Amino acid sequence: MTALLPLPVAIPLVVCAALLATAHLLPGRVPDILAMLAALAVAFLSAVIAVQAADGPLVYWFGGWEPRDGVHLGIGFSVDAASGWIAAFIGLLYALTFVFAWGFFDRTHGHFHILMLLFLAAMVGFCFTRDMFNLFVWFEVMSVAAFALTAYHLAESSLSGAINFTVVNSLAGFLMLGGIGLIYAQTGTLDFDGIAAAVAQGGRNPVVAGAFCLVAAALMIKGAIVPFQFWLADAHAVAPSPVSVIFSGSMVSLGLFGLAKVSAVVFGGSDQVQGALPMLLIGLGSVTALLGGWMALLQRHLKRMLAFSTISHAGIMLTGLGALSIGGTGGMLVYVVGHGLVKGALFMIAGILLATQASIDEIALRGLGRGIWPAGIAMALAGLLLCGLPLGTLDQGTRLVQGALSQQGHGIALAATAIGAALTGAAVLRAAGRIFLGLGPDPGDEAGAPSADEREKANRPLWLMLAPCCVLLAVDVALPASLIAHGLPRAVSAFMHRPEGGSLAEGPGWLPWVSVAAALAGAGYGLFRKHLPAFVVRPVRATQSAPTRALEILHSGLIGDYAAWLAVGVAVIAAVLAMV
Amino acid sequence: MSPRIRIALLALSGLILLPCAASVIAGLPAFGATIAQYGERINAITPEARHVANMVSAINFDLRGLDTLGEEFMLLAAITGTVVLLRGRRGEGNTERAMRRPGRAVIPRSEATVLACRIAGPLTCLFGLYVVLHATVTPGGGFQGGVILASGTLLIYLGEGYSGWRDAIHSHWLDALEGGGALLFALCGLAPMLVGAAFMQNILPLGTFRDLFSGGLMLVENVGVALAVTGGFTQLFLEFMEETREAEEPDEPGEESA
Amino acid sequence: MSAVTSVLPYAVAAWLFGVGLYGIATSRNFIHLVGCLGVCQAATYVLLLGLGYRWGSIAPIFYDHPPGTPAVDPVMQALVLTDIVVGATLTALLLVLTVQAYKRGGSLDPEKLRPMRAGGKSGRDQGSSRVSEGGQQAP
Repeated sequence: MTALLPLPVAIPLVVCAALLATAHLLPGRVPDILAMLAALAVAFLSAVIAVQAADGPLVYWFGGWEPRDGVHLGIGFSVDAASGWIAAFIGLLYALTFVFAWGFFDRTHGHFHILMLLFLAAMVGFCFTRDMFNLFVWFEVMSVAAFALTAYHLAESSLSGAINFTVVNSLAGFLMLGGIGLIYAQTGTLDFDGIAAAVAQGGRNPVVAGAFCLVAAALMIKGAIVPFQFWLADAHAVAPSPVSVIFSGSMVSLGLFGLAKVSAVVFGGSDQVQGALPMLLIGLGSVTALLGGWMALLQRHLKRMLAFSTISHAGIMLTGLGALSIGGTGGMLVYVVGHGLVKGALFMIAGILLATQASIDEIALRGLGRGIWPAGIAMALAGLLLCGLPLGTLDQGTRLVQGALSQQGHGIALAATAIGAALTGAAVLRAAGRIFLGLGPDPGDEAGAPSADEREKANRPLWLMLAPCCVLLAVDVALPASLIAHGLPRAVSAFMHRPEGGSLAEGPGWLPWVSVAAALAGAGYGLFRKHLPAFVVRPVRATQSAPTRALEILHSGLIGDYAAWLAVGVAVIAAVLAMV
Repeated sequence: MSPRIRIALLALSGLILLPCAASVIAGLPAFGATIAQYGERINAITPEARHVANMVSAINFDLRGLDTLGEEFMLLAAITGTVVLLRGRRGEGNTERAMRRPGRAVIPRSEATVLACRIAGPLTCLFGLYVVLHATVTPGGGFQGGVILASGTLLIYLGEGYSGWRDAIHSHWLDALEGGGALLFALCGLAPMLVGAAFMQNILPLGTFRDLFSGGLMLVENVGVALAVTGGFTQLFLEFMEETREAEEPDEPGEESA
Repeated sequence: MSAVTSVLPYAVAAWLFGVGLYGIATSRNFIHLVGCLGVCQAATYVLLLGLGYRWGSIAPIFYDHPPGTPAVDPVMQALVLTDIVVGATLTALLLVLTVQAYKRGGSLDPEKLRPMRAGGKSGRDQGSSRVSEGGQQAP
């Protein structure tokens, strides 16, 4: 069965090379169909591999270069059940995105599909590999495909957003390569297990800590963690909506997935790194969750709002990771899937509004969504799921993360996860109420947020765009929780290379309801501000305006600022590592 | 944020990072003292195991061939992206003929230039081919040779003028070259699986050490990379050159939204 | 070898990255910024090649020297080769983005080309004005 392992990477690569070679000969819809079939094949094969890997990770050595005398000579793939299922989820997300983007990219000789398939292959390779440099290669392929896709619209905003994205993520690549160089010089190998064994023997070592600092910074840049988060809002807001589905649904969380793997497997034996991780990840994660949620609430450009919401949820995932327990990491992995499904659906709704109503601005769209009410229902449901409605996969992930946090007494982080989710939910629900019900004629601080109008082609029937969105939401709601709960402990212990132990704790049952209530209250405040008594509105407005303006100034869109914050972030990681 | 605050932030983080970097550098093995076990081991076993003299090629095309596959497709992604982003504005319709910029004088080339290019062009291509084919023996390989081959085509532009260059080079052919080369490389990975070997396992006869025909499957992969790189880089030149010819016009619609 | 030469390449790599980052942070021209990014990348070349070097060794090509002669680390050289391709792809893409941004925005200054903030005005000023479609047209 291990012979299947290279196929989920090889199939999209072969299809995209063949598409490029023959693109001008192929009739209209063939690239759409081929790309969708390739994505489905990836999803199916990854699922088969994941089932096979339930009893233990499958290992595959490329070129037949198996380790000799303890020296890892070639590149290996090592797939545990969790990595396999994440890859299957990514394949499904791509297949649905190809349906959503059906006919969206005419006259392109399949270039859109070529880039997307490369993006897909890189993500699967990133999930499967067990070699540090190979991880970097897939990281870069992902980045390069993403850079080109971001600027696809060729509008001024999308070009400058893509430049910021490219520069920051290129720096991430260089940091990662530097870290890989250091760890290779120290341990003499590039294989995850080989490095882990050498690291575990070494004791406290500045080179290992330095390598971790650089690699972790790179993955956190990809994962949009404060203070590296700036590029995300610029890039996700301007990318074509099918691309944003992939960005928010899988690319960002994959950065954190990589961080989970690297910190648990490769640096699992370093006491210094393991000692620094809880403080680092939970601290940065809490700040990210709150900042992202707050910024989301202040946006009027729907895709920018969803981008900040993604930042907030990335922060929540990072806190789960910071618990360093089977429950926390397991919760984070479930959260990756649940969040990808819900956020993907939301970006599809944004795309539907762009295509049918020719706008993406919440205030300009007020009341215009009445004609497409099914999208409104989907958006409201997605908003409720986002803020923690106790239903479906995202909620299961939230509970596991919160359970791990409360078990270890991280009260502040627990509150941050609940508040962050509530803020993003409030933002989405407010937008849904304004667009589809025509509420909230008097906008508050969000009216001052930057916005640029764009349009996407309106050549697709509503049902074709809405169907994949509903499938995503249905999968999130309908995935049987008992099945996940049953397989998770084993999968996560294999993922983290740790012995199985203990049952998974769930967070307090009332916490998600608090988030939902807070989200509804926040959305209600935004929509019915005019009807509220002045003694409520005035203090809120007075306390909101100054921090709002400060935050908006911070997210300046200037690449120079982002580079400075990047240096600050690396310094924070290094300082925490040095203090332990 | 004002530039002054920005520099202050940078300086602050620099101050924190400086001692950290110093301790990392102090912890590294002294420069030039030793090399890692992995590299040592490859130097020791590969000449015998694969009959190749160039260790870097052996790593790129055999031991760590998957990295090169990823790298090749990264290049493909970048060039596809470049084509999409540059061509988006001009539209697809103009790709088959040379665009002219009205009002730009056509400067006649001296006969010396034409002659030099006609002599140097084939020689450059020959050298590129040499670098490609001797990947397993001497420094070089598909990537380096492909770049030389692509720059050889630029001599056509220099010698024959822009429209002469565009007559010789067709965008579709370049796409086919680039995609076909990448496909060949990917299939080199899959083909061994048909006979039950691992992905990219070197199952062809290995040839003779220090001979042109050595390294087995590496030679085929190498040709694939060379084709893809030649096609890709020429495509890159073509798109950037076309950009300089574009007439000033008001904004045209982006590629997919007309 | 002396204490200086034993750490010099690593210090140079750190210095190059820092200088490149300073350039990116203060750049007022995108072409200059792409160059600074290249400087940052040069840091990785220096670091990797420095880590793979050994005094008195040959290049890892056993044509003129028999196999078994001490050679430098071929893995690092292969990694740098991949790194160079990364650099080429990034430079090409960034220059394309810059060319297109210049055509649309009429400037190479990052201050004037901020996403979603036409003309570099603060968000509040143009909050309600809608930026033109930037080349997008409905059919």
